[in-house]
This record gives sequence, C-alpha cells and structure tokens, in this order.
Amino acid sequence: MSISSVAKLGRSSVDKCAHLGRALQFLVHLLSIKPRPLANFKYLMEEMFAVGVQSLIIMVVSGLFVGMVIALVGYTILAKFGGAQQLGQLVALSVLRELGPVMTALLFAGRAGSALTAEIGLMKTTEQLAAMEMMAVDPYSRVFSPRFWAGVYSMPLLMLIFSSVAIFGGYLVGVRWLGVDAGSFWSNMQVAVSFRYDVCQSIIKSVVFGFVVTWIAVFQGVDSKPTAAGMARATTMTVVSSSLAVLALDFILTTMMIGGW
Amino acid sequence: MGRVPAIACFGFFRHTALKNNALDERPVGQQAIISLQHVQFHREQREIFSDLTLEIPRGKITAIMGPSGTGKTTALRLIAGQLIPDAGKVIVDGQSIPELSRKELFACRKHLGMLFQNSALFTNLTVFENVAFPLREHTKLPEAVIRTLVLMKLEAVGLRGASELLPVELSGGMARRVALARAIVFDPTILLYDEPFTGLDPITMGVIVKLIRELNEAYDMTSVIVSHDVKETASIADYIYLIADGRVVGFGSPEEMLSHHDLRVRQFMQGLPDGPVPFHYPSRRAYDQELLS
Repeated sequence: MSISSVAKLGRSSVDKCAHLGRALQFLVHLLSIKPRPLANFKYLMEEMFAVGVQSLIIMVVSGLFVGMVIALVGYTILAKFGGAQQLGQLVALSVLRELGPVMTALLFAGRAGSALTAEIGLMKTTEQLAAMEMMAVDPYSRVFSPRFWAGVYSMPLLMLIFSSVAIFGGYLVGVRWLGVDAGSFWSNMQVAVSFRYDVCQSIIKSVVFGFVVTWIAVFQGVDSKPTAAGMARATTMTVVSSSLAVLALDFILTTMMIGGW
Repeated sequence: MGRVPAIACFGFFRHTALKNNALDERPVGQQAIISLQHVQFHREQREIFSDLTLEIPRGKITAIMGPSGTGKTTALRLIAGQLIPDAGKVIVDGQSIPELSRKELFACRKHLGMLFQNSALFTNLTVFENVAFPLREHTKLPEAVIRTLVLMKLEAVGLRGASELLPVELSGGMARRVALARAIVFDPTILLYDEPFTGLDPITMGVIVKLIRELNEAYDMTSVIVSHDVKETASIADYIYLIADGRVVGFGSPEEMLSHHDLRVRQFMQGLPDGPVPFHYPSRRAYDQELLS
C-alpha cells in the first residue's frame, strides 16, 4: 500500500470524524433551544402536516400490503401444522414488534426524510437561511427545531396507523379470503398481544427511530454543499444513513427489550 | 395611499418603535459607522484578505468594488458577522462584531439590512408574507398595522400590486425589489447590497439605482454596495473602495477613481481587457514552446 493510499484513508477518517462531530454539535444546539410551545405551535403543526399527514398515503398502502403478505405466507405455513387459527396472533406480533416500527421508519426516511433534507438544503443554497439570520431570526428555532420535533412526534403516530392497517390487511386475506374464523383471528390476537410489552415497546422504538431519522435528515440538509451535486448527495445520504441506523438500532433495542442485555 | 406619501412614510420604525435607540441621535456624516482594520481572512488554503483596512462613512453610499473572486462579498459577510476574520477588527457602529455573542449579534442585526444577490426570498411565502416576515418575528403589532407597513414598503419599491404573488411568479428584478422592501421593513441604519445590479435588464437596473439613492436619502441610511458594475455603481456612490490582491488598492470619489494613478484601479474602472490584471491566465510553459515547437 503506497503512502498516498494511507494518507487518503487518514484524510477520509478525519473527515468522517469531523462530520460526526458537526452532527453531534448540531444536535446539542437543537436540543438546547428553549422550548416555546405556544409561539412555535403553529410552525410545529405545519411541519407535522408536511412530514406526517403527507406521508399517510404511503404508510396506509404499504401497511395494507405488508399485512396481506404476512397473512398469506403465515397461513400457508401454519396450515401445514393445523395452526391456521393462530393467524391473528402471528400477524399482530410480527407487525407490532418488528415490521411496524421498522417499515414505518424506512418509509419515513424515504418519503419525509429526503424531503426535509432537500428543503433545508435548498434554503441553504438559495441563501434563505442566511437571509433569516440577517433578519435576526434564528434558523435553529424557526426552521430546524419545528421540523425535528414534528418528525419525532409523527413517527409513533404513523407507526400506529401503519400497524393498524397492516392488521386489517391480514384480516382481509386471512378471514375474508382464506376462510380463517373471524372469532379465532381476533380472540387469539387479543390473548397474545400485551399492551405493555408489545404496543408500548413498538412506540418506544418508533420514538427512537423518529429522533434518529429526523436528526439525520435535518443535519444532512444543513451540512449539504450548496450545489446541485451536493443536494443530491445529501438526500442520498439521508436515506442510506437513516436506513442503516434504523436497522442497527432495531437490533439493539430488540435485544434490550427481550432481556438479552 | 399615493406614491409620494409612501416615500414620506420611510422611517416609521426608526422614529416610533425604535425612537429610544441611541443610534438615531448621532449626527450623520461625522464618523465612520463601519470600520475594518487590518483584517486577515483565509478560506481553506486560500488567502482572501492579507491586510484589509477600510472605513465606511455614516450616511453615505460607499461601494466596495473589484474583479470577480477578490472577496467583495466576503467583506460584506465579515461586516454582517456571518464570517469571523482570522485577525484584525470589524467594528460596526461601535461594536466589535467578532466578539459579540449570538444574541448580541442578532440584536445588532436588527439595525442592519441586507439585499442578497439572488434575493433569498422565502419560496413558500407570498410577496406580502415575505416582507411581513421580520415584523411577525420581532413584533406583536396588530395585523392591520403590519398590513399598512408592508404595503407602504411595497409601494416604495413599486410592487404593491404584486403583494399576493409567489416568488416563482416574479422576474429577477421584481424579486430583488421585494427583497429590498423586506430589507428596509425595519428601517435599518445600515443597508448592505450584495451585487444589486447583476443579471438585470437596463430598465430594472435603472429602477434599482434610483431606489438605492432614494432610500438612502429618505432614511438617512448608510449604504454599502458590493458590485463590479462600474457605470451604475459610480453613478450613485459617494465613495468607492477598490479591492485587489487581498487589500484596498484604491479609494476615492467616482471621479477620482476614474483618473486614479494606480494602473490596477484605472484598468478596472475603465474596463480595459489587459493590464496589471493580465488577459492570459499564467501558464507554466511559454506560448512558442507549447504551440510552435
């Protein structure tokens, strides 16, 4: 390995560390902003509409298909062992424990995360953020903070909607199409699903994913280079980094929740 | 409201909401309101300013000129506190800008207005809301007062009729006039213009030139124009600084600059294609060696 390769590797590592340092510094600044719930309520609602309500269609459609596929595959397997009546339990636990929070976060990163990065990156490129600072308005409290908290609050709500629709999709395929008894479907689900261990834990996962995905999305926008290529790179980085972070965090959180740690 | 009364209404904020501010009681034209002293600034490996010293007199229109890439906009950003110098002092109205906390800097910026080169309008807000933005953020004025103030400023730049348009529906010149209305909505003491004439047609350029002159007189403002458009800038500036090689190479009134003894100043002011700033980019090999051998 030539000395230039070592130097290149070193430079790349230093750049990555500097990037992470800037991201942490950004997060600390963001979290240190004095909350003004009344003053910022309007902006928070606007952003929740943009990142939450406008993501609803993709969540509902994806949730429906995910639930239908789980029911179809699950029925095929369970029927071999004569356990088709346990389909409701299988669908609900799969969706609530894993697929709901993870799929919602991945879809959120692709739909709302990339939009947040592009919007903030464009505001930076067109000097809107600089203009705001020149008008003595802090972009952290006026732009970044409402978007960040809107993402954190929206994610668990979207996850609950996604999971509900997925269970309904499972019901359509299992009960309406494949003929599983409706009473067995719902009663087995009711017995197996614990509000405390399943629903609450999936909400906790969603809040963590919402925090991380929105932090990455907003930071990538702020840190993007003000060029077309810089914007493209920033939006790509948002989706890639968020997806990897969600999958890694899911493993860590699941391990903690089932008592592995 | 007619056109003339709108101009007459300039200064509403300075003489009402901000009337207790000491800034407004100082006599105009007696001292420098902006002072850059021995400023050094690097960006990555490149030296932008090696020793920049200049003073902007109060109440005048002062232009900072120079060829592309000499750091004119950087100088403006140093004045506005968007950049911190490596060394030297940046003093705006008695305050050392690099030493201010973020809160103090924001307080100082309430007396500064800035017109950005690409207007920097908020794309999701209408023209009216763009101009109203600083008022909504910093005051709790009733909606009726905000409406009156915004329409007055839009009338002053000739765009009251465009108040409901979105920025994407505006031409470049209109967008710049809206940005100007937004920059003056708080009746600033100092107005910074970053390349205000770039990319405009002759009519719009004439409008902007007229507005800069009229606003400066109506408000008793200090205007700093960064530009490389010699004709337009010389027509309204009281003083011109010429920057090259990281420092000031010429200073004077437009007439003095046109007949300046320094060859670099004369080349720039007269738009000569060759001179101290060569036509050819330096090459490692001579012409005859590279092309004729």
